[in-house]
Amino acid sequence: MAEWTNELRERLARLSLAPERAAEIEEELSQHLDERHAELLAEGHDAAEARRIALAELDAPLALAPQLAPLRQARQPEPAPSGAAVRRGWAGLAHDLRHAARVLRAQPLFTLVAVLTLALGIGANAAIFAVVDASLLRPLPLPEPDRVLAIAERTASETHANVSPLNLRDWRQRSRTFAHLGATQDGVGGMVMTGADGEAEMVSRQWVTAGIFEALGLRAIVGRTFSEDDDRAGRNAVVLNESFWRARYGADPAIVGTEVRLDGEMFTIVGVVPSSAEIIGRSNLWGLAPLQSMGERMRGVYFLRAYGLLAPGASIDAATAELAAIADTLAAEHPATNAGRGVAIDPLQTRVVGEDLRRTALLFLAVVGFVLLICCANVASLMLARAGARSRELALRAALGASRARIVRQLLVESALLAAAGGAAGLLVGAGILALAPWLVPDGLLPPTVAPTLDVRVVGFCALATVLVGLAFGLLPAWQATAGSPARIIASETRGSTAGGGRLREWVVIGEVATAVALLVGAGLLLRTLLAVEGVDRGYRASGVLTLLVDPISDRYPTPADLLRFYDAVEGEVSALPGVERVAWATTRPLGGSSFGSAFVSVDGLPVTEGDRRRTADYQIVSNGYFSAVDLPLVAGRAFDARDGSDSAPVAIVNEAFVQHHFADAGADPQARLAAALGRRVAVRLSARPDAEVVQRLIVGVARQVKARPDEREDFVQVYVPLAQNPVDDIFLFVRTPSGDAGALADGVRRAIGRIDTERLVGIRDVLTLDGVVAEATARHRFRAVLVAAFAGVALLLAMVGVFGALACSVQQRARDSGVRLALGAAPRDVFRVVLRDAGRMLALGIALGVAGAAVFGQWLSGVLYGVQPLDPPTLLGALSLLLAAAGAALALPAWRASRVDPVVVLRGE
Amino acid sequence: MTDIDTRTLDREMKKGSAELVILACLEARALHGYEISKRIEQRSAGRMKFHIASLYPLLYRLEERGWLKGRWVEKAGQRRRRYYELTAQGHRVLARQRETWKTFVEAMSMITGADHG
Repeated sequence: MAEWTNELRERLARLSLAPERAAEIEEELSQHLDERHAELLAEGHDAAEARRIALAELDAPLALAPQLAPLRQARQPEPAPSGAAVRRGWAGLAHDLRHAARVLRAQPLFTLVAVLTLALGIGANAAIFAVVDASLLRPLPLPEPDRVLAIAERTASETHANVSPLNLRDWRQRSRTFAHLGATQDGVGGMVMTGADGEAEMVSRQWVTAGIFEALGLRAIVGRTFSEDDDRAGRNAVVLNESFWRARYGADPAIVGTEVRLDGEMFTIVGVVPSSAEIIGRSNLWGLAPLQSMGERMRGVYFLRAYGLLAPGASIDAATAELAAIADTLAAEHPATNAGRGVAIDPLQTRVVGEDLRRTALLFLAVVGFVLLICCANVASLMLARAGARSRELALRAALGASRARIVRQLLVESALLAAAGGAAGLLVGAGILALAPWLVPDGLLPPTVAPTLDVRVVGFCALATVLVGLAFGLLPAWQATAGSPARIIASETRGSTAGGGRLREWVVIGEVATAVALLVGAGLLLRTLLAVEGVDRGYRASGVLTLLVDPISDRYPTPADLLRFYDAVEGEVSALPGVERVAWATTRPLGGSSFGSAFVSVDGLPVTEGDRRRTADYQIVSNGYFSAVDLPLVAGRAFDARDGSDSAPVAIVNEAFVQHHFADAGADPQARLAAALGRRVAVRLSARPDAEVVQRLIVGVARQVKARPDEREDFVQVYVPLAQNPVDDIFLFVRTPSGDAGALADGVRRAIGRIDTERLVGIRDVLTLDGVVAEATARHRFRAVLVAAFAGVALLLAMVGVFGALACSVQQRARDSGVRLALGAAPRDVFRVVLRDAGRMLALGIALGVAGAAVFGQWLSGVLYGVQPLDPPTLLGALSLLLAAAGAALALPAWRASRVDPVVVLRGE
Repeated sequence: MTDIDTRTLDREMKKGSAELVILACLEARALHGYEISKRIEQRSAGRMKFHIASLYPLLYRLEERGWLKGRWVEKAGQRRRRYYELTAQGHRVLARQRETWKTFVEAMSMITGADHG
């Protein structure tokens, strides 16, 4: 039978037939030609002639190809081959995927370690990204977040002071750039709510002014918000938080218009607002604080936080300029209270997020980024080791015709598969971390509306991280595996291409060690900061003291005498409670920030310089029992007592820093300075205006220094004045119990105050023990230190796994060398030494780079450090010892194995 | 009477008469390519021949149009062969073309005055 394939193929070649179709046509036409050939033979032609005729018919009268050409099956020129290529490509990729899955399944330990490593890195990053995303990247959950501004008053000593209710009222009346203005009292308090069902429960409540929800751009979901009419009428009205309304009332719209009993008084529920209103305070309900009924006396009382919604078309600059102009007018109209008071306006987002959170979030992001980097390095290192071990397999494939691109793709597919598994597991790790976050993150670090959750954006971040990670740790081994010439690699007996790969791995490990050192030093610095903050001598005894802010905002106590009578009555009532040792009043909670602010002071008899005019001291008003209530010792003179009444000569107690600042001339002897201070007069002005009232106070005592903030860098200067001589209506009550839990006193104290304040005109909030204040003040430091230390620990562990892996691998690859050495008479010790030398070189380089990195990292951290320098030798030493100890553990096994190589086994050829 | 010139046949093929010939061959039963060419030769008493270069492109075109269906048939001890059969559409087309052709031939006869009865 004749063979026609070549003739046919030649004629079909210019057509673009699918390969399978071309084969079919060849088969079919060959059969035809066979039969025609046989027919011609039968007709008497010889074989050659028959073949010639049969073939001629392929071309005459019209050639085959041009007739086939118009057919669809022959006209797949563009789509056909590329489509086939794509199909082949996909088929190839599917094949690669299956192959990669097989390879990874075959090495379960490697796969498990790699996936877990990546999961850890990606998971930690996902969790931190969720926090950063929720706090820094995402707009506030308000309808028009860009138009909502936070407004504060600006004074000589404070950039963001609270706002006076009467100033707010005047701003609202005179401003054109704000569509709405409203305010809240800072702090959320608790109230006892008694429903129609007679059941009493504790609910959180925040006082707000009318217009607050409009200022946030929010509308009521059901009912309405507070109106000016409610304010004028002084109605007892509350608005419910949506989440509370759903949880407590099952989202019943009929609840609007009904009354609830709150702390014994009836309030009308006028509406429900979306939970995003929690941005002003995490509260179950908001009560109306009327502004209209407030007397002029309230102009000098600053207790509001104001918010405003820009009018359409108005800019923040225009609003700032307008409010500044209004503030100037008010200063002229009310010089006694408003002189020197300006306004400070910020976008709400800036105020909500705050510098501390911004810095902390970025710090964590950087730290977890480093950890992810180490994770990638480790997996890359593992892959490099595998690629080294597989180099002959890969070289063989290259020699058999696989292109370099093909092999790189195969290895990249493996990386991608690993990364995908790591990313998926990382998402679970991230979800786990976020689920635990509420227990880990200190209260107040995250603003109320920032709730990091695992959402599409976080998943997207994970996916992106996975892709980058896959490329990051996949390209290096892929490149390295295909770099050498196949012939050389196949020929080489033991080393393969591992010389180059080994160096690459070494650098990867060096990078890991460097990163671990930098992170360890950073964690060390933060831990030392925490120790410094916790161990600081605060100057008083915090345990066993309950504090709460008592706020009789009302014209119920119009005169200072009325206020004092109220305070005395409360003091008496609370003192009578069982378990109460001492009771006192003060405007500032140690470590809790000042509620009153600073005063301008100058010591009489000392030359007044221009600088003196600006000398300020924290102005704290305390009752007579304050110093004994918090165990704050007086280092000289006496405490306030009954002699210091409202009609007596004004007196003051200063603190040690005050003496340092103002009586340095009295000599170096501390006692001499104290003696110099006692009996002197200090002029105290609460305003910077030249015509402000000056009170000359006699210094009767010097109190020990206390900390205003746990991490304050300079001792702060304080002047204490007796409550009797300066009664104010926003003051902390301190209750000391000799034993037991001070927090347990809270309800009793609340009820005791209720017995005095029968009309419930007194606000009680910020109920916290002094220990709680301290813990809150140091919580951020603890959180930062613990988290960074945890990540540094993870980094150290991972880096040591890297060191271990690199050494173990190099030992294995050097087994032959070791065997030869041992066979030639070297002692195991010598082989041991070779391995140690390798390890030493990697560690030394890594440490050198790490210390340099730590210097940069420390500098960057300096903003959150306290009591420790960015380059702290003990911290550095500690970090290095830790690293070396871990490194010792990591290289013990490989070194031991190298020295235990059996020369006979190795030399026989593995 | 001479053989129909193959050039003429190719022109006719383009007009559709060759299609009619093929469809008619396959009306009774499925045939493979070589059988089709032999059947045409026999039925035309050797006057009409389809060479391989013309036959198969035409078969493939009719197949692409959906008038024919080709399928590989394997028989014991033989090479597999590709048999062509009319599809339902092919049968309809054949009926219509046959009608048209008849009309055409009658018209030609009348015009040219040939004495075909």
